[in-house]
Amino acid sequence: MKKGILFLSLMATTVFVSCSDNDSNSEIVNPNSGLYAEVLTDVSLEVITETYNELYVNSSTLKTAVEGLTIGDETALQAVKDAWQSTRAPWEKSEGFLYGPVDTDGIDPAIDSWPVDVNAINNILDSGNDITSTLLESNNEARGFHTIEYFVWGLNGNKAAADLTAREIEYLTAATINLQAQTQDLYYGWLTTEGDFASNFINAGVSGSIYTSQKGALEEIVEGLAIIADEVANGKIEEPLNGNNGGAKPEAEESRFSNNSKLDFANNIRSIQNIYLGDFNGFNGSGISNIVAANNTTLDAEIKVAISDAITAIEAIPGTFTDAIVNNRPAVQNAQSKVADLLVKLESNLVPFVSNL
Amino acid sequence: MFFFVFKIITVKSKIFNLSLLGFLIVFSSCSKDETSEYEAIPTLENRLYAGGETTVFLTSSNAFSTPAPNLSGTDLDTHLDGDFQFEAAFVTAPANVNGGIGPIFNNTSCVSCHPKDGRSPFPNNINALSGFFLRASIPGQDLNGGPVPVPNYGLQIQNQAIFGYEPEAQIQVNYTPLVETLSDGTQITLQKPDYTLVNTYEALPSSILLSPRLASPVFGLGLLEAIPESEILLNEDINDANGDGISGKANYVFDAVSGEMALGRFGWKANTATILEQCAGAYLGDMGITNYMFTQEPGFGQTNGDDGLGDDPEITEEILDQVAFYCKTIGVPAPRNLDNESVRRGAQIFEDIACAKCHIPSMVTGTSDISAISNQSFYAYTDMLLHDMGDDLGDNRPDYLANGNEWKTRPLWGIGLTQVVNGHTDLLHDGRAKNITEAILWHGGEALQSKNEFKALTTQKRIDILNFINSL
Repeated sequence: MKKGILFLSLMATTVFVSCSDNDSNSEIVNPNSGLYAEVLTDVSLEVITETYNELYVNSSTLKTAVEGLTIGDETALQAVKDAWQSTRAPWEKSEGFLYGPVDTDGIDPAIDSWPVDVNAINNILDSGNDITSTLLESNNEARGFHTIEYFVWGLNGNKAAADLTAREIEYLTAATINLQAQTQDLYYGWLTTEGDFASNFINAGVSGSIYTSQKGALEEIVEGLAIIADEVANGKIEEPLNGNNGGAKPEAEESRFSNNSKLDFANNIRSIQNIYLGDFNGFNGSGISNIVAANNTTLDAEIKVAISDAITAIEAIPGTFTDAIVNNRPAVQNAQSKVADLLVKLESNLVPFVSNL
Repeated sequence: MFFFVFKIITVKSKIFNLSLLGFLIVFSSCSKDETSEYEAIPTLENRLYAGGETTVFLTSSNAFSTPAPNLSGTDLDTHLDGDFQFEAAFVTAPANVNGGIGPIFNNTSCVSCHPKDGRSPFPNNINALSGFFLRASIPGQDLNGGPVPVPNYGLQIQNQAIFGYEPEAQIQVNYTPLVETLSDGTQITLQKPDYTLVNTYEALPSSILLSPRLASPVFGLGLLEAIPESEILLNEDINDANGDGISGKANYVFDAVSGEMALGRFGWKANTATILEQCAGAYLGDMGITNYMFTQEPGFGQTNGDDGLGDDPEITEEILDQVAFYCKTIGVPAPRNLDNESVRRGAQIFEDIACAKCHIPSMVTGTSDISAISNQSFYAYTDMLLHDMGDDLGDNRPDYLANGNEWKTRPLWGIGLTQVVNGHTDLLHDGRAKNITEAILWHGGEALQSKNEFKALTTQKRIDILNFINSL
């Protein structure tokens, strides 16, 4: 039965293409194409590009904060920690859209590789080499967010400013310069006046876009939402919670040096929320919600509730995530199950809904 | 870091029926544009299920990275475990998590060379971390007929090393332009690469043979592994007995799994018999991760190759098996636009100019221990055989029965999705072709006649065949 239905769906797709010109890229005649264009424009320009803009701007602040760091200056170290967290936030809010330059230009592994290669870091520190951004280019696991996190918080989260060495500050400087360069490449990759990846969404279905229809671009977007919900539920929470034969596996926690994991997960879900609503930092645009609500107000309401329930449950985990996977496992399990509920809504309802547009 | 454990279930609801009606109305309003030959060209609907029941219906960047939809529950679990491992980045040993990279290597995870389970771009900086590397050997054959390792280098050049260790070499590439002119006057300049090694950690023998590689997509591999050998041999014609200018030769290679000679199916020269060995070899050769099949570091015995830790194997048997299982069970993306007139005309031209003689559209699997890939009829567009592709494409590096001009016919399934999945169209074994037209123009040897017929096509027919290939 499924086969037959799938085959029909292909017919539906191809029938209209046979009306189009030979490069099969013509605009689909669809009464909703105006709404779709609005959503694709707001999502790509106002949510995605602006999230990357914030990432870039905040990584510049982080770089500046590291420039002010000296051994023993606790205030300066706190400023670096704050700047790391405010750079981390837009990155986590971008993981609902891991397509485009972040993947094709190899930026994700360059800034968010995990685990940290502690031996490589120590060997670099102990060497006579000048530590530069260029030196780190061939060491994905010894640069990026988690390497910086390692230096700033230390393996056990209790690094003091007096513990810093001149070589560590040299390394931190190189790593933050490198991170800022990567985030610039990422932002510019989407920016209309630079790499303009956003135009693939804005002009979806028009010759020149990699998406041969608006629906294809919308599918990319909603699949991205389901993918991050899946990763949070079945990877980021599951591995530390149950990775040791059903018991806790603390070393599998991604942002454990800084105890930032709960915020990471909540921001991943906010990434879903921003795309779904078309909102970012006070901008209230058109998002996937507008398309869903036009056809199915119940589904739209269910998805919105599932998103906020997931965020609430993650934030309700007491204390640190590191502690909770051992001492508050039911709270972590509850958060995981709320994210899993959201995943089901996205995967079993939203993705098929968009496929059927 | 992200790990891809997402399963998209394509479920169609009643909404679809309404939309179909809408599209039918659109269709009828423009059907006057149809040409009279429309009915004469064959329909392609039977090719929709490119991977048989493993087919997935995705046109996004996830088109190469979705589990086959017909996996059993336990098989899906194994697949997802393998997916997690495919994403794992390795670090300098000893380490709590994923220790063991190098000491010499090419990259640090499976996915870094197969992004989104797809095709690597040719690197902007050839010495940066990328999905590109060089195979190496010296003239002659080993006891099994395979290539002879280069003393102190082995069969692959590892151009990265953990900090404090020296990579084997850096790579330099120079290009020679080759101009091709199509019948409508369009000129296309191909760039023929020539690779040399510089800054080598030790002297190289002057007789060294190098052959470049760029990582390929990893979906659908289980189907290719499960084609009965007899089906593949049906198309062998080593001495061109039928006089069509196309031979087709099976490679027979040492199979590290069985310890015996076996039909080669994987790799650009069909020099590997199984997915398991391909994965084990990639862990070892590309990442320096020892495993139960290959227990010695790639730099074993070399001054830059031994970390002295004695921690081998660096991954468990379970992890290697999970990754091999993963590579066997990724769904195959369905073709698009099969009902499009130009696509259908292109399919006919693909037959007419004999592309389909090597890029044979359909194949079948026999029984497999993975039920999802058993007894499937699928459309990979390969005969799994070696063909002489001419001097310009040749690597002059024999590999078992494959001589220096011979390459295995690449599957074409999914090729039209390369741009949306991977953001480029760098094709062929080293990405020298920057699009499908260039890839066709690189064909020589047994494919020279087909290439010349392609060049002679009218502009419209050329668009048609490209539309067909891009529909795959």
